[in-house]
Amino acid sequence: MSGSRASGVFTALRTQLQEAATEFASGPDALEGILLGLVDDVDRAVREPLEIFPVCHHSPASALAMARRLREKQPKVVYLELCEDMAPLLTELRNCRLPVAVQAFAGDIDGFPQEWAPLSVVAPITEASAEYQAIAYALDTPGVELVLVDRSSDHVFQWNTTASENEASAEADEAPKSEEAALHGEAVGVEIGDLRPRFAELEEHLLRHGKVRHWSEWWHQYVEVPLGDSDHDTYRQVMFLIGSLFRRLAPGDGDRVRVDEDRERHMWTRMREHMAATGTGPEDCLYVCGAFHAASRVEEFGVDGHSDSFTISPRTATTWQYGLIPSSHAAIEAQFGLAPGSVSIAATQWQKSLKRTGVRPYRLEGQAGARTSRAKKAPPAAAPAVPAPATDRLSGFLRQPPVLDGLDESELLGWSVDIVRAARRNGYLASTADAIAVFETSILLAGMRDRAKPTPYDFQDAAVTCIEKDRVPGRRDVRRLVEIMMGGDRIGQVGYEALPPLARDVYDRLEPLGLKLQQRGVQRALLDVAGRPELEACSDVLWMLRRLMPTAAARPIMGERRLGERSIQESWDLALGTHQRALIELGYEGVSIEQVLEQRLRREAYGPRATTAGVLAAVEDSLLYLRSGRLADELGTHALKVLSAERTVDGAPEVLRRARALLAYYRTSQPELPAWIESFVKAGYAHYCTLLPTAFRDEDATVGQVAAMLGFLFSMESLALSLGCDRTQLELAVAQSHPEDPSKTALLWAAQVQLGTLSRAELRARCDALLDNPLVVPSYPRYLSGFVHALEPVPGLADVVVEAVSNAFGRLPDTVLLPWLPLLITTLRKGAGDLAPLLIREAGRVFPGRLPALDTWVPPWRQPQEDPFAASRSRHMTTAVPAPRGAALLAAHPAACDALAELLGCEDGWQQQGTSALPPSGAGAALLTAYPAACDAVAELLGCDEGWAPTVGTGSPGAALTTTHPAAAEALEALLSRA
Amino acid sequence: MSELLRAPAEIKYAEELDWLESIDDNPKPFSWRLSPKMVRLFILGSERADGLDREVSQKWFGDRSFVERSIVTLASDRGLLLIGDPGTGKSWLAELLSAAICRNSTLVVQGTAGTTEDHIKYSWNVSMVIAKGQSRESMIPSPIMTAMETGAIGRFEELTRSTSDVQDALISILSEKYVSVPELESGGGDDNIVFAKPGFSIIATANSRDRGVNDLSSALKRRFNFVRIPVVTNKKSEAEIVRFRTEELLRRHAIDLDVPPTLLDVLLQSFADLRASAAAAGSDDEKLESALSTAEQIGVLEDAVLHGNFFGERALTARTLASSLVGSLTRREPEDLAILNKYLHGVVEPRSKEEGGAWPEFLEGGRDAIATLS
Repeated sequence: MSGSRASGVFTALRTQLQEAATEFASGPDALEGILLGLVDDVDRAVREPLEIFPVCHHSPASALAMARRLREKQPKVVYLELCEDMAPLLTELRNCRLPVAVQAFAGDIDGFPQEWAPLSVVAPITEASAEYQAIAYALDTPGVELVLVDRSSDHVFQWNTTASENEASAEADEAPKSEEAALHGEAVGVEIGDLRPRFAELEEHLLRHGKVRHWSEWWHQYVEVPLGDSDHDTYRQVMFLIGSLFRRLAPGDGDRVRVDEDRERHMWTRMREHMAATGTGPEDCLYVCGAFHAASRVEEFGVDGHSDSFTISPRTATTWQYGLIPSSHAAIEAQFGLAPGSVSIAATQWQKSLKRTGVRPYRLEGQAGARTSRAKKAPPAAAPAVPAPATDRLSGFLRQPPVLDGLDESELLGWSVDIVRAARRNGYLASTADAIAVFETSILLAGMRDRAKPTPYDFQDAAVTCIEKDRVPGRRDVRRLVEIMMGGDRIGQVGYEALPPLARDVYDRLEPLGLKLQQRGVQRALLDVAGRPELEACSDVLWMLRRLMPTAAARPIMGERRLGERSIQESWDLALGTHQRALIELGYEGVSIEQVLEQRLRREAYGPRATTAGVLAAVEDSLLYLRSGRLADELGTHALKVLSAERTVDGAPEVLRRARALLAYYRTSQPELPAWIESFVKAGYAHYCTLLPTAFRDEDATVGQVAAMLGFLFSMESLALSLGCDRTQLELAVAQSHPEDPSKTALLWAAQVQLGTLSRAELRARCDALLDNPLVVPSYPRYLSGFVHALEPVPGLADVVVEAVSNAFGRLPDTVLLPWLPLLITTLRKGAGDLAPLLIREAGRVFPGRLPALDTWVPPWRQPQEDPFAASRSRHMTTAVPAPRGAALLAAHPAACDALAELLGCEDGWQQQGTSALPPSGAGAALLTAYPAACDAVAELLGCDEGWAPTVGTGSPGAALTTTHPAAAEALEALLSRA
Repeated sequence: MSELLRAPAEIKYAEELDWLESIDDNPKPFSWRLSPKMVRLFILGSERADGLDREVSQKWFGDRSFVERSIVTLASDRGLLLIGDPGTGKSWLAELLSAAICRNSTLVVQGTAGTTEDHIKYSWNVSMVIAKGQSRESMIPSPIMTAMETGAIGRFEELTRSTSDVQDALISILSEKYVSVPELESGGGDDNIVFAKPGFSIIATANSRDRGVNDLSSALKRRFNFVRIPVVTNKKSEAEIVRFRTEELLRRHAIDLDVPPTLLDVLLQSFADLRASAAAAGSDDEKLESALSTAEQIGVLEDAVLHGNFFGERALTARTLASSLVGSLTRREPEDLAILNKYLHGVVEPRSKEEGGAWPEFLEGGRDAIATLS
């Protein structure tokens, strides 16, 4: 398409290339097409009225050319290839120490597959980059507008439907990244000026012939260095050429090409829209994009390109959050597959080039972390240069011999001395002789690789050759030391002002600790909560951070937080600076950590896969960290719903543990139990009763789970019954249970003992029967497992369990016993908190404490059965009449008796000695003799037909009574005759 | 068939070296026969872009920076110590380097527990000493001393196998570059001192598995540049090496037998699997004693080829390959056998069901071999 419009500027080059194509490929064919296409691309990009500035990422040459060009041209609008939705954040860059990355983050997604969540896009920005120059110029020069034109973060994922899956799988193969390299997390990286061969063969070819090891080195040697001091036109044409080369030699990876072209369409559409809206002329603008995109051949390319053929698809409903996160050279290298150390070397190169060329770079006003004081204000802008007609700079550049790196001898000497010093500090036995050897070897290596002067990479190889011996004495090897020497890894930091409100709030609230928490590294915080009560708030924040952030960010060394407990002293290892990204990403979820925690607890509790145990855990957390009764009530009520919908008993042990802990907490800390936990116990009682028969039979339910169910039922029984539950339900449920598994059978027996339907003696007899039956013996250990688990619901059975276990050890054959031992140990270890102490205490009581005693020891269950009440019973036998000991005592101490009688309101006075000993049996008889009709009536009522017995005695007190109180006897008679 | 069972590199590639020397116009250090770039070209082979009239084959497979660093070290003041696991091609690289640089790769001292200082410096021809007294004629120079006198490269194989005092005899040779012979009188000339001529250097090899047996003194370490040769794990280049060495071997034995590519794949894959399992193993008992190097693979293949040629149907089968794999890798009884058994049943069996090909036969052969051995 460009053939007809081609200018005559590159005619000479074209002819030359045509000849070359003819010679090498014997005739016009694909090669000619590619070669001439390259020139066409360059020609077209050069002629574009809107000045295109091609860049490559992390290229100091690009940055230098950019700084020069900006000073010269002073454009009014800068279009930048960066996600358009990231624009508002760029002004915050000045508060940060570079490198940092602009991040777009979406936790809740809408319109993408749910498994992609959370989505994150990062665009790292370093100081030695062309984009930073453009940003700094545009933001700090009045009247200049910065327009980001690339697709939004949303479109990154919209258009990248397949790539994200591939990337994910590719990353899985990689070696684990170091801490610095993992600063970006799982984010998708975008950057300006991705310029790299798109297929492996080309890259391999370039590396092999360039005699270099990796891409960054190739770029440094063949593009960066030769372009370092070239003028603007040369720079532009060479970059266009490289972009076009990689583009034309790219294989047809359809998806990637489609995305690239869509991006170009998007950018040109946005630029045309902007120009039309603001009325800016193309001559006042500068379009900064990767060289790859400058060689675009889409229809929409150029100010005059098609404008109606591409519509930008609407964004999805996903809400995106934006922020700055710290980045590092290592993270950038890891994310974009650059050689380790290359970004650091680029940064050093940038500083060197600035010094050498005297170009004044742009830097944001008040940029944090600036090394030198800011240079004086730029002189008044020079009048925009009149664009000179494009001339062919390519032919000259391509023909000139490779420009040699300007590394001078004294610099190399300096490096050699420095690396030896650094090596010695790191435990190497390096000496001056090594410095000489490194120097010499670098020069020899450079010579072998056709370089007049060694590059940093040659130097690195030389240092490894001469200093590295058979082992690395310290933490870092020589290669790493050279990287550090060449600038080392720089880790960025997001300034306080640029942090989201949540992160600022956290830093503010931790202020009383008096630590510099923004710094990287681990810091120890000591909190004497008892001595300084104001630190309690800090402690709360730290515990919440521990719940929300990666473990290493806040790690308690001393002190713990459990229900109903408070630490009086705490000490923490804090690494908030190192985990700044995690803190910033928390900031996307809410404005305070309490809010984020509440949201997360709710999300966990109301999630589709929430279990009762999980909800109870959330309740516990809300009490622990938020001290929020309201939230706890709400979540607790929800737990009730979840419980009633649950049909399995998988979570029973956890539910039991948590419910017990919560109950204990409420009982000790609050005047009355919250309504939800009462309902929970009630519902739980009914729920587990219902599930019990099934669980006993179900093969999937483990004995531990069933034991936990029984534990819940027995240990909460009193509360549940007081709330109106019926014990019959449990008795029926146990009666309905017919387990087949021996361990569950044992559990059932234990439950029956607890309920009183089975006596201990019967249980013992059953165990003995099992041991006696040779057919059952092999499964006896499984019964034992059941008994061990039964300690949880029926702790009182400990003695029987000890007996059963002892019997097993004593009577089981080794072939049965030994395979079971590991199971016993693991069971006990799992229940170490509850089961083991019980069992051991009981065993300690039963077994002799010393070895000699063992010989004569007979287990209690083998001793002849004694009646525990025999002794007292025999005492009863020997004493003929039980002496009324109380009465004697009262007679001996009459004062005490008087006081008691007065207290009880008895004013009858003392009875006469002697009469009290008489049995009161005669009293009724006297009444009867006094009133024979009553006696007859009673006798008739009782069916006694015999006549009256002869009178045995008179003057009995009963008769005396009736004679003294005739009215009472009359009343009785009337009563009886009426009946 | 050549007269020599195994010709050293300078004889084997004599013609190629002559030709390279004739076209070499780059500057040469000392008395080197080839310039550093040509040495590299000789070892790593040529490409079209080098613009040579004939193709130079690649003789050593590995990262080019290792070769470059080795050459540069030899051009400097220091000795070269190639260190790595057994079978990574250290000695082969040393041989190629000395053949290219001085056309003599036979000035070799083999380091053993029995190596004495005499093997490094000189010894005496006792009968001549009795007849004529101590003189230069009655002295027997060691290979290293010969290398010094002729300005050639001396080689010291398995440096760490020899005892420390013997190793330290190298210190003065490497730093002063002369050996004094105190038995001779300093009558007039420099008869009692043997000076090294320009071009002299030493290539030593050391086995990283022997670390700690006879550790190098730091004085000696200082005088060597260490180049660590890693085990080749790249499957493509490993296949290349195995093919290259096997062809050479077959030629040497004058055996006309094809190695089917599928069997080569089986061999490479099984070694890759075994290496992976060795890397995952927790203790020494869980991994094979063998280092599983490329040389070991070549050994297995050679064994199988010879077996197939002389006892089999004059063809290489998966069955022979498996039995030679089991036979060569079993060093300890029963640990190694157990590992191989586990490998056959845990990895090869599912694979033979899934992929078929040569795997089922390989499995069969492996099982038989294990049954025979156990």
